Amino acid sequence: MTGTRFLEPAVLARISNLELLAKTVVDGFISGLHHAPYLGVSTDFAEHREYMPGDDIRRIDWRVYGRTDRLYVKEFEADTNANFVALLDVSRSMDFGTGALTKLDYGRYLAASLAYLSRRQRDRVGLATYDAAVVDFVPASAKHLDIVLHTLDRMRPGGEGRLEEPLAQVAESLRRRSILAVISDFYADPDAVFSALSRLKHKGNDLIAFHLLDPAELELPFGEAAQFEDLETGRRIPVVPEKFRDDYRRHLAGHREALQRRMGETGIDYCFVDVSQPLDDVLFHYLSRRERLAHVR
Amino acid sequence: MSFLVPLFLAGAAAVAVPILVHLTHRERREPVRFPSLMFLRRIPFRTERRQRIRDWPLFLLRALAVILLAAAFARPFLPGAGFDAAQSGTAREVVIVLDRSYSMEYGDRWRRAVAAADSAVGSLGRDDRTTLVLFSDRAEAATQPTSEPADLSAVLRGVTPEPRVTRFAPALQLARDIVAGSERRARVVLLITDLQRAGWRAEGDVRLPDGTRFTVADVNVDDVPANVTVTDVVVEYGESGRARTTLSVRLAAAGGDADDVVVTLALGGERVREQRATVPAGGAALVRFDDLPATERTVRGRVHVASGDRLARDDAYHFMLRPPSPVRVLLVEDPRATTDEMVFLRRALAIGRRPPFDVARRQGAIRATDLADRDVVILNDVAPRGDVAALRRFVEAGGGLLVVAGPRGAGESALLRGVLRGDLGDVVDRLGGSGGTLTITSYDHPVFAPFRAPRSGDFSSLRILRYRRLAPDSQAAVLARFDDGSPALVEGRVGEGRVAVWASDFQNRWSDLPVRPVFLPLVHRSTLHLAAYGEPRPAYTAGTSLDLSALPEAEALVTGVADDELVVEAPSGERTALQPDERIVSLGETGFYAIRPVAGRATAALDIAVNPALEESNLAALDRAELEAAVRPLNDAPPTTAGVAVSLSQADRERRQGIWWYLLIAVTLLLVAEGVTAHFSQTRR
Repeated sequence: MTGTRFLEPAVLARISNLELLAKTVVDGFISGLHHAPYLGVSTDFAEHREYMPGDDIRRIDWRVYGRTDRLYVKEFEADTNANFVALLDVSRSMDFGTGALTKLDYGRYLAASLAYLSRRQRDRVGLATYDAAVVDFVPASAKHLDIVLHTLDRMRPGGEGRLEEPLAQVAESLRRRSILAVISDFYADPDAVFSALSRLKHKGNDLIAFHLLDPAELELPFGEAAQFEDLETGRRIPVVPEKFRDDYRRHLAGHREALQRRMGETGIDYCFVDVSQPLDDVLFHYLSRRERLAHVR
Repeated sequence: MSFLVPLFLAGAAAVAVPILVHLTHRERREPVRFPSLMFLRRIPFRTERRQRIRDWPLFLLRALAVILLAAAFARPFLPGAGFDAAQSGTAREVVIVLDRSYSMEYGDRWRRAVAAADSAVGSLGRDDRTTLVLFSDRAEAATQPTSEPADLSAVLRGVTPEPRVTRFAPALQLARDIVAGSERRARVVLLITDLQRAGWRAEGDVRLPDGTRFTVADVNVDDVPANVTVTDVVVEYGESGRARTTLSVRLAAAGGDADDVVVTLALGGERVREQRATVPAGGAALVRFDDLPATERTVRGRVHVASGDRLARDDAYHFMLRPPSPVRVLLVEDPRATTDEMVFLRRALAIGRRPPFDVARRQGAIRATDLADRDVVILNDVAPRGDVAALRRFVEAGGGLLVVAGPRGAGESALLRGVLRGDLGDVVDRLGGSGGTLTITSYDHPVFAPFRAPRSGDFSSLRILRYRRLAPDSQAAVLARFDDGSPALVEGRVGEGRVAVWASDFQNRWSDLPVRPVFLPLVHRSTLHLAAYGEPRPAYTAGTSLDLSALPEAEALVTGVADDELVVEAPSGERTALQPDERIVSLGETGFYAIRPVAGRATAALDIAVNPALEESNLAALDRAELEAAVRPLNDAPPTTAGVAVSLSQADRERRQGIWWYLLIAVTLLLVAEGVTAHFSQTRR
């Protein structure tokens, strides 16, 4: 991606209009690309159509050309308008941040940017926010971008979070296969996370898991011994950070590794996000990687 | 290493603070709100039995800073090997004696005196120990013995002459005591003065100990200093009814004729008159300000002489112009007495001006109310009738009583108890011959003191034809006798008051005293004495103290505000509070003092005028050799130096080394390093 990006989280925090923010983020990284990335990566072949100048030559079915001496391109299911639904965790643990943005705000901007990108590609967009249950649900529709952005804008932190019940509810609500972006900090046992996501995956949905964490959660940079209080449960335990730091990091790394491995085994796209990183940069790298992987598949 | 104040080393115990800080884990008061304790709960909680110091470099910086700070306050020094070898015999005990009497204000004497003192301070040796003594008519050590020239210079900068006279003896005795009490062999006394002759008197032993070097710095450069002084101001009040006052100002000149001297009179702050006078050298002049309007109230007065001399302090004379307070007399006469009989005494009392007599006449019985505002009662040839007990109480409370024992006079033994044994005695007839004569037995008595000088009044020519025989009480005093030895005038104390009995009459019948010149002053002196009259002084002298309870002019102030504090405001404006039981005021400045009750009743206020002592205006110089001969030790040979060494005091040694200063610098540097290290340590975390 060429050019200099200036969309640090602190900059994003100053953009009060969510649609503008999403547009800024998306236009920002798209401008550096040779062509617009496509979120959806469906491998379902739908049909051939005759090649027209301007089509992506990577879609030319060379076997057909070998048989017919005529150029045809493959069309996939995804070439038709798809559903995109962002599933945003709004539990209280997401309302944590030591930089310019909390994880929740970052997730809000990520969901908005993904929705904007999808709509730009004429997909239908929807939204579900959840903590221990579904808080808001906007069904996917071509006309629902404004509603999605509005819902994201007025969204507030919820209570204690769970994955299984709300994701199961969402799975029941989806009438057709969709691209689902699950945005969460995934503070749950990897098995429980995988179990919750599998239910969505088994219904044929294309899942992307964005794992958001704050740098303080990654490093445990605190100096003084203190009582640490769980944001969701209110429980407290005494912590001497300098004594706990190494073990903590090790546990966290193991958790991330477990998530990535389990999701990778079942075709769920896992993307770890440090919320101190620029959002457009994160999206750019992720979408580029996703596109490469799609070609490999 | 030794310490001047080892108690401060206890402050090193404060190093326990950084030890505790670096051993213990400081815990935040507020909990840290963390998204999830999922991973933290998995970490087994363990305790450590042994605490370890955290962050050793920071701890060492802090601990060292605390220890060095405590050491600095303890004032460390390196003790010598018992004695300072470099000081053998050179360390001196020095006393600088500086004259600060007001004659030192003449010309530039004071400037040269301070310069001489500064020069002496500047030439002090490193090991010399010096005391600065300041003196006028009293001497005081203005500094402790010190080796620090800066201490002496600081005091010199703040010293000024004071309005007091010169007395060399107290200062030289103090200097002698200082050098005599020193263990040092080398001693020096430097006297800086104008060698005023008036300050030299043979009082006490002023000779310095053997081995003391005595030097005089004479700041008087004038052979015959010229000076004009106001020596006195006399107020003469006009007679009652004429109400005019005359001021007589006496001037004195020394060191040359004072021609065309301008004398200015100011009353109540207003310039009233100006006159010119010529004062001969060594002589005096009188300047009169006549026909001044009398004043109904007390007024501040000031006379100033503009003569161009170089001593300004004695060119102004401050005084209080107070309308004379009359002596209140109750004159009791017999109702049968004729005017011709009473005229002599009445007339004598009517003539009084300084002070006037406020006479109330009573014929017949005395009432207690008659005595209420009186100072003295005169029973002129009358037997006391009426409330004699009240009269007795009046005398016992401080009133005066004069009993004129004429033909009608009769004693009242209760009234005269303590003065006479019994009543007035029988009449003694001296009609034969030329009558009796009178002899004064006590010219020291206040009544007869004015008659002591020759040609001041002749009592011997009086002719006494009749008198009563008096039997004085053993406690009474016989002030005059007749030629046959009989008491003529007897005085005794009754309680707080006085009673006098004149054995004859004032009617020009039993004696011709009423028509003699001595009659008038005798009546006046007797009346004033019995009334305990004290003429208020127009001015007082700086350097003295006043007992307000004994001042006539302070009577209204002291008695009217007995339970209140008084505030004394000096001429410089400085205020001092006097407690209810304090009535002594020190007059250290020249000008006007104002004494007022704190409660602020203006009618009870009192102003006091203060002038410098006149003797200090006599600037004649003392022969230096005369002074030196009396002061210089008999043996002033300098001490031998072989084998003599002097030890510096610990304080002197510590002050010289100043190790504490370097320690403080080190502490400062350590604290800076601690700050930087703490910052980086925090950042690293």
